[in-house]
Amino acid sequence: MRRREFISLMGVAVGWPLAVRAQQPAVPVIGFLSSRSSDVDASLLTAFHKGLAETGFVEGHNVAVEYRWAKGRYDLLPAMAAELVQKPVAVLVSTGGTVAASAAKAATRTIPVVFTTADDPVKGGLVDSSNQPGGNLTGITARLIEAASKRMELLHELLPMASTIGLLVNPTNPATLIESSEVQVAARGQRVVILSASTERDIDLAFEGLKQKRLDALLIAADPFLFARADQLIALAAQEEIPTLYFRSEFAQAGGLISFGSNFADFFRVIGLYAGQILRGAKPAELPVQQPTKFELVINHKTAKALGLTVPPSLLSQADEVIE
Amino acid sequence: MSSRHLRFRGLFRKYFLVLFLAVVIPLAANGVSEAWLGYRDQRARLDQLLGVEARSAALRIQGFLDSITGQLGWLVQLPWTEEPDERRRIDALRLLRQVPAIVSLTLVDGSGRERLYVSRIGLNRTESHTDRSGEPAIIGARSKRIWYGEVSYYRGSEPYLTVAISGNRPSVGIVVAEVNLKLTWDVISAIKVGQTGSAFVLDAPGRLVAHPDISLVLRGADEATLAPFQAIRKAVGPAGAGFVTSRDAGGDRIAAAAAPVPGPDWTIVVEQPLSEAFGPIYTALWRTGTLLLAGALFAGLLAYALARRMTDPIRKLEEGTERIGAGQFDHRINIRTGDELQRLANSFNAMAAELAVSQERQERIAKLKRFLAPQVAELVDRTGDDGVLEGRRTEVVAVFCDLRGFTAFSARAAPEEVMSVLSEYYEALGTIITKYGATLTSFSGDGLMVLVNAPVPVEEPGLQAVDMAIEMQRSVQELIIGWRVRGHRIGLGVGLAMGPATVGRIGYESRFDYTAIGSVVNLASRLCASAADREILVDTKVAEAVIGKRALIRLGMRRLKGYDEELPVFGLSFDRKPDAA
Repeated sequence: MRRREFISLMGVAVGWPLAVRAQQPAVPVIGFLSSRSSDVDASLLTAFHKGLAETGFVEGHNVAVEYRWAKGRYDLLPAMAAELVQKPVAVLVSTGGTVAASAAKAATRTIPVVFTTADDPVKGGLVDSSNQPGGNLTGITARLIEAASKRMELLHELLPMASTIGLLVNPTNPATLIESSEVQVAARGQRVVILSASTERDIDLAFEGLKQKRLDALLIAADPFLFARADQLIALAAQEEIPTLYFRSEFAQAGGLISFGSNFADFFRVIGLYAGQILRGAKPAELPVQQPTKFELVINHKTAKALGLTVPPSLLSQADEVIE
Repeated sequence: MSSRHLRFRGLFRKYFLVLFLAVVIPLAANGVSEAWLGYRDQRARLDQLLGVEARSAALRIQGFLDSITGQLGWLVQLPWTEEPDERRRIDALRLLRQVPAIVSLTLVDGSGRERLYVSRIGLNRTESHTDRSGEPAIIGARSKRIWYGEVSYYRGSEPYLTVAISGNRPSVGIVVAEVNLKLTWDVISAIKVGQTGSAFVLDAPGRLVAHPDISLVLRGADEATLAPFQAIRKAVGPAGAGFVTSRDAGGDRIAAAAAPVPGPDWTIVVEQPLSEAFGPIYTALWRTGTLLLAGALFAGLLAYALARRMTDPIRKLEEGTERIGAGQFDHRINIRTGDELQRLANSFNAMAAELAVSQERQERIAKLKRFLAPQVAELVDRTGDDGVLEGRRTEVVAVFCDLRGFTAFSARAAPEEVMSVLSEYYEALGTIITKYGATLTSFSGDGLMVLVNAPVPVEEPGLQAVDMAIEMQRSVQELIIGWRVRGHRIGLGVGLAMGPATVGRIGYESRFDYTAIGSVVNLASRLCASAADREILVDTKVAEAVIGKRALIRLGMRRLKGYDEELPVFGLSFDRKPDAA
């Protein structure tokens, strides 16, 4: 009897440290919600981890990250955001346009959300103001939508004679309307034709119809799904021999003619930084929404030559990168 | 024992304290003064360091602005014509690319009309000819060449500064640039004061222009954010007045100094956490403290050892003197310190040796006292020399006393009565012997022998001996009256003889007696034996010595036992007082 008691006590004594260890708070979990896919966002993740490291966090070491990839299907985002909130996560990161940020915002009012948006976050209803977000959301804006008018201006500088310009948009992205109006404002007598595509097939169809529409040039609207289809777009533009202007430098680097936009991948570092700061106790309401200062113009001279285009010196002098 | 122990402890404590303090006080004084001087030096160094850092930081911020205005200068070198200037448009676009901080450029011709506007993200304008001559930037640049506007926040967040530059003549026009001050982050974050110190920039109204934590700048004109920074600037006061201590936004104590950025009238404040700024002082204080502690410990050990070294011999001395005092004269104090204490110990040892010798003599003298007159004993005692007792030949008076009828009495009377009579008899005689300074050489039963003039010579030994004998008779005769009342028939006879005899100590070990040997002793004894009660018989020599001085009675020639011839014998009358005789 006594011996049995002793053994059971021993069991308690041995089991105790294990129980204590189990009770210790687990490493914090960051929910990562993206409307794109992991391969497309690879460069963003690198910047994200860099930002996290600046606050002393290393994934798998003292922080865990739960990834959710919508792969262009924006309708999946609300459910994914809700699932991450249910886990729960300590911080929710949303990237891939205002659609993802809105889904995150809808899913929680308490868990801090660090978002990326291409648009104005105040107009998009994400925050009260850029300097004082006020709620549980903060993040960065890439100002890609705002830059649409500049892209139209640059396209005019490249092709002063172009009179009909196509704008390829993703109709499932609410920012589409804003962007098309920006483009219209910047138009100097050119006709702007809106092309819609929210699936891979749509893109093919849109390019098939180019010839009939007699388009002189094409603008690609800033949209996560369209960025995810970069290879397809570049290939089709080459095939259809249509001068195309894109919103991220990755396009031009991959063979697109010309791109203008902020260096999103570099800037994404702030997302990791903010997520880390929030884990360390910072309040999202007090972290201002950051904006990029640097916009890069990248010209692919090779593609220009293939299209038989001469890039004017005024444009070349502005280019941050010219791919020969 | 306890008081001795206390005294020992007291001395030890005194020595210990004095030695300990002698080391610790200078050490502590040195440590404290060093710490104080170190603190002052560090303050002065910090003052200098922060001042230099502030000025250098101000130069870097000014350098950031100067590099922009330097670039802008290129755009205001050629005069405007009425024609659109494509060349200048390209220059402006290239400048945008060259200087990332510039958000937009507005070029105005000599008459104040806008000729060109290029923006990083907004739409460009050419030849709009809008009249801008009334704008503060244009007016300012015309009067000052370089004009800095006030900081404003783009979308309430990004700090923008308007800079306007005019050329060296009105026809080249003016360029107005909007500068995004967020790009000063590269400059401000590169400014490191010490290890963790940093810098920030406030404009004239106290808005944050640059800070290593960019999100603080991006909060815009938020009073709560700005208040701590404005408080620091207020604490620093006029720039260049040395450093002050204040508290940063987190409430930590900091040392801060300021320098002006003259162009846009900004202030740059450099700050360093006080814990770091005074780090060397704290380190020095710790070091001093540790050294002091170690020094005190060492001093304590040293003082303990020294005090022990000093008190140990003293304790030994104390113990030694006590033992010597207790009569242990063979005790020697063993101190080998080679100093005064050893000398003192040696003196004590010598003293002990002398004491031993002295005591031995004392003992010898004490034994002599038994047969010497107290005066003689005292003399011997005083001189410490018993040489007088050495054997020699001298002129002495031998005095013999003997009770008549004592043998019959002792056979008859009870022992107590015999002892009582003897006791009274000796008491009376002893007093007289002492009084006259005579030497009692021996006594047995009722007879005793006294010497006069040995071992200590006296003046007129004969007279002295006679007087003594008379007093003896008188004294004993008074006793005899009492004895007769008690029914004892006892009388006293006294005999005196004078002449040379050998005197000295005889005996063995501690049993010494002083005695005289010679015919004079014999003669005195015979005279005594011959004397009847109430009779004092003297020989010729004694009689010659006192003739005319005491009443002598010529008794004629008598035959004495042991003498072949008859000898002249004299008697002494003692009925009246000798002085009256």
